[in-house]
Amino acid sequence: MSNLNRSIFQGHPFHLVSPSPWPLFTCISLLTLTTSAVSGMHGFESAGYWIPSALILVISSMFLWFRDVISEGTYIGNHTLAVQKGLNMGVALFIVSEALFFLAIFWAYFHSALSPTVELGAQWPPIGIEAINAFELPLLNTVLLLASGVTITYSHHSLIQGNRNGALYGAIFTLVLALVFTGFQGVEYSVSSFTLTDGAYGSCFYFGTGFHGLHVIIGTIFIGVGFWRMLAYHLTENHHLGLESSILYWHFVDVVWLFLFLSVYYWGS
Amino acid sequence: MFLRRAAPALAKRAVFRPAVTRSFAVSVRRWEAKADPKIGEDSKLLQPLDSIKSEHDLLPPGAAPGTIPTDLEQATGLERLEILGKMQGVDIFDMRPLDASRKGTLEDPIIVKSFGDEQFAGCTGYPADSHVVIWLGMSRDRPIERCPECGSVYKLEYVGPQEDPHGHDHGHDIHHDSDGAHNYEGEPQTMADFVKPEYR
Repeated sequence: MSNLNRSIFQGHPFHLVSPSPWPLFTCISLLTLTTSAVSGMHGFESAGYWIPSALILVISSMFLWFRDVISEGTYIGNHTLAVQKGLNMGVALFIVSEALFFLAIFWAYFHSALSPTVELGAQWPPIGIEAINAFELPLLNTVLLLASGVTITYSHHSLIQGNRNGALYGAIFTLVLALVFTGFQGVEYSVSSFTLTDGAYGSCFYFGTGFHGLHVIIGTIFIGVGFWRMLAYHLTENHHLGLESSILYWHFVDVVWLFLFLSVYYWGS
Repeated sequence: MFLRRAAPALAKRAVFRPAVTRSFAVSVRRWEAKADPKIGEDSKLLQPLDSIKSEHDLLPPGAAPGTIPTDLEQATGLERLEILGKMQGVDIFDMRPLDASRKGTLEDPIIVKSFGDEQFAGCTGYPADSHVVIWLGMSRDRPIERCPECGSVYKLEYVGPQEDPHGHDHGHDIHHDSDGAHNYEGEPQTMADFVKPEYR
């Protein structure tokens, strides 16, 4: 390639992002969400309107921002190998921060569970608490999540091998398993005999499983976006970082569940 | 004894159909016949780098409906340029550090290639990393810079587009009336102006 032609294109592989309104939109939306959530938690009357509106704002900002990222990566070709490496690193760091978030939740749980105070009856589960049998719904949910790990791997490897149907069906089965898992967690929540405000047990239980459930829902949406992008021919057999990130995230959520199952459901009952 | 036991076993085995009815070598040959491009042949999608003259040349052909696209079929823009370069053995983004195998001299400076009018280069001395990074700014007007710490000399080599023949003097910082050594009229002179003007 002659230097004359080469000089038409930028000399470095990095993506110097163009001016965008979405960071500002996201900041304002997140600030609205936090303030309305805090006012809701303190019993302010209109928070019931503010929280859903703020949530819609946050989701819209994310939607519009990610839409631009997809345009830049898939349609403009800004995501060179160096950019992909940076994005991958960002996802890895995000998952590390998520791992530390769950570490804090488990810390809170073990703080109460390992040396139960006399008010709890010096035992765990505390006196009067009917814990959920780990070998009923929780074991089924473990099987569902592990199976979803298999189907998403099938989807990923089908994509790499150029098998479109396999990739799409693998993702569909993963999404179905994820939705069934969320549904069963809903069933478990609705039939459990303790609540979030009962005391240490209920707080720790719903803190851990609730945030895990939230992450399952986010992971389901993440994989859903990957599924849509396969359907829309965005993803190639080699460049599909969004899907790979969702898979990484899904496996992380899976591992958190295994820890929850072992320590909260099995050991903790 | 052995035969008596072996014969029924062989007979039993013969009932089963072999899992693979033809040898694998045949299937490889069949795959080769179908393969496009042929093995050892370049893909038709591989555009020679010399044929890429504008961003338009980096639009991908696209994949057939119902298939998973390959990068060569679908990558676009800079990403495509990088992939095409890699497939043809060209490092599109020359990200290697500057030549640090020697100390640059005025007679034989370290060459710093640049697509723009100005370029910064960081000197860490010779051998590399023998002093902290000292940033040297070079321009097309004054291409030679000398590190104040170790004395290594760097020279900018402009590899960008040649002057636009239609554009005259719209904010360009190349002055055609300059003597090649001074950026502006009345710029303070240095020792080199008196002792070795050719080193300016």
